[in-house]
Amino acid sequence: MLRDSQNRALSSRRTFLVAGGASTVACADRRPRLNVFNWSAYIDPAMIERFETERGVRIRYGTYESNEEMLARVMSGNSGWDVVFPTHSRLGPMATHGLLARLDHGRLPGLAGLDSRFQQPVWDSELHWAVPYMWNGTGVAYNSKLVAGVEAWSALWRDDLRGRMTMLDDPEDVLGVCLLKLGMPFSSVDERQLQAAKAEAIRQKQYLRAYLNADVRDQLVSGDVLAAELWSTTTAQAIAGNAALRFAWPTEGFPLYCDCAAILRESTRYELAHEFLEFLLQPDVAAANARVAVTATANRAGQSADPVLYPPGEVYARGFWPPALPPAAQRYRDRLWTEIKSA
Amino acid sequence: MKLRFWSLLPARLTGALLLGIPLAVIIAYSLLTRGDYGGVEQPWTLDNWARLADPLYLAIVWRSVWIAGVATLLCAAAGFPVALFIVRSGRWRNVWLQLVLLPFWTSFLIRTYAWIFILRDTGLVNTALTSLGLIHKPLPLLYNDGAVLAGLVYNYLPFFVLPLYATLEKLDTALPEAAADLGATPWRTLRRVTIPLSLPGIIAGSVLVFVPCLGAYLTPDLLGGGKTVMIGNLVQNQFTSARDWPFGSAVSMAVLMLSALSLAAFLRHRTARELL
Repeated sequence: MLRDSQNRALSSRRTFLVAGGASTVACADRRPRLNVFNWSAYIDPAMIERFETERGVRIRYGTYESNEEMLARVMSGNSGWDVVFPTHSRLGPMATHGLLARLDHGRLPGLAGLDSRFQQPVWDSELHWAVPYMWNGTGVAYNSKLVAGVEAWSALWRDDLRGRMTMLDDPEDVLGVCLLKLGMPFSSVDERQLQAAKAEAIRQKQYLRAYLNADVRDQLVSGDVLAAELWSTTTAQAIAGNAALRFAWPTEGFPLYCDCAAILRESTRYELAHEFLEFLLQPDVAAANARVAVTATANRAGQSADPVLYPPGEVYARGFWPPALPPAAQRYRDRLWTEIKSA
Repeated sequence: MKLRFWSLLPARLTGALLLGIPLAVIIAYSLLTRGDYGGVEQPWTLDNWARLADPLYLAIVWRSVWIAGVATLLCAAAGFPVALFIVRSGRWRNVWLQLVLLPFWTSFLIRTYAWIFILRDTGLVNTALTSLGLIHKPLPLLYNDGAVLAGLVYNYLPFFVLPLYATLEKLDTALPEAAADLGATPWRTLRRVTIPLSLPGIIAGSVLVFVPCLGAYLTPDLLGGGKTVMIGNLVQNQFTSARDWPFGSAVSMAVLMLSALSLAAFLRHRTARELL
C-alpha cells in the first residue's frame, strides 16, 4: 500500500512520461497524412514529393499488383487507405458495396482537362465515383524481324510460331480472346459460346510456350518469344529494349482498361483526397506520371504520338471497355479456366 | 501440478493463437458462401466440400501428389550421395554443410527466377550447348514438368540432406567396416547396412520434401509457365481471379488434411519421429 505522497509523486511522473512520449510523436510529424494505394510503378515518385512539399502533407504510399489484391484489403471497410486506383470494371461493384465516396466535382476543376473520351466514360458516365487516370489495351506484341503478318488474334494460333507464343495468365483475357476469334462478344455469359471458347483455348494451348503476364517482357526482348498476347503498356516498355518489337491492335476488336483514382468511403480525409486527385489532373503532373509509368494518360495534356500507347482514331474505334462479369458467369468461366489449365 | 499448468500456458496460448484461430477461420470460411466480389457471406453450406469430389479437381490433387512424389524420389537419389559424401569428408565437413545451406541466404523467389535464366532458349544451358555445336535448335527446357521438377528438387534438396546427414553422422562406422571385413562389396555394404540404418533420416527428409512440394504454387507457376495446375495454384486462383474464398478454403483444408495424413503415415516409423 502506497502512502499518499508517494502515490502522487508516482502518478505525476507517469503523467510526465506519457506527455513526453506524446509530444515526441507529435513533433516527429505534425503534417496531415494521406494514404494512397496504387498499382506498382504507376506514378512519378517526384510528384509524390512535390505534393508533400506544396501542401505540407505526408503521403503514405503503398502498391499492389492486381485488383483482387486491392479489393481483398479494402473490402473490410477499414483498410486505412484513402485513395485507390481500381480498373474501370471494378468501380460499379465497389460502389454497389458502398466502398467508394461520391466525388465532389466542385473540388475538381481539373476534370475539364480530361481527354474527351474520358469525360463521360461508359462505366461511370457522370464521373460520380472516380477520375480516369491511365489506360491501356490488350493486343498482340510480336517480333517484326522474325514474324510478319500479325494483325489479328488468330495469329496466336499460327503453326509456324508453335512453341514461341504466349497468352496472358488471365482467365477473362484468354477466354475473351478466344471468343473474339470466333466472332463472339469478349464478355459473353452464354454457356454455349463459352464452351466453344474453351475448346478453342485448349486447341491453342498446344501452340503456346506458356501463359505469362509481365514476365514475358524479357523473353520478347531476348527473342525467345516471337508473339504474345500482351498489354500495350508492357509492350511499349519492351520496345525500349528491342526496337524490332511491334504491337498489333487486333482486327477482331480488343479490350481496353482504364485505371481510375477513387476515394474510399472509409476515408476521413475527404478534402485532402480531393486535393490529391486534383493534383493528378494537373497537365504537367499527368504528363510526368505517364512518362515515368510508360503508359497512356487519360488527360489531354501529356499524350505522346506513340501509336502503341495511343491507337489512332480508326483503330481505337475497334476497342471496347469490358464491363464487370456477373458472379455466376465468373464462376462458370473459372471452371472452364481450370479445365483449360488441366488439359 | 499448478506450476506445470502455468509454465506450459505460454506454449498453449501461442499454439491456440497461431495455429488454432487461423485454422478455425479457414474451416469457417470453407463452410460459407462466396461473396460476389471476394469475401464470404451467409448462409452456411457444404457445397464447397462437395465440389472437391469433382473429377476435375481430383485429377489436380492426383497430379500434385504424383509430382511431389517424383520430386521426393529425385531428392532422395541426389541427396543420399551428398549426405554420405559430407559425412565422410573429415574436417571439410562444416564447409560442405555451410555450402548446402548457402542458397537459403537468398530469397526463394529469386532462386526460382534464376532457373528461368538457366533453362530458357537464350539461357545458360542452351547457349552453352549451341556454342559447343551439340545442338542447333534450343531445347525446350522451360515451361514443362521437367522444369517444375528441377525447381522443386533444387529448392528442397537441403531439407533432405540435413536430416539424412544427422542420421549418417551418428552411424557407427564399425558396422560398415565389419561388413567389409566379412567380405561384403562396398555396394552390398551400402545396400544391406548403410541404407537400412539411415532409414530414419531418409523418412524424415522425405516428409520435409514431400509435404511442401504438395502445396507448391510458385515453382509450378514460374517454371511450368501456367500450363499445368497443382493444388497450390488452384488455391491461389480461388483467392485471386476466381474470387471464391470458400472453395479456396475448402481446397486448402483438403491439402492440409492430405499433408497430415502423409505425415502420420511417415511417422509410424518410430526413429523418424524422434528425428523430426
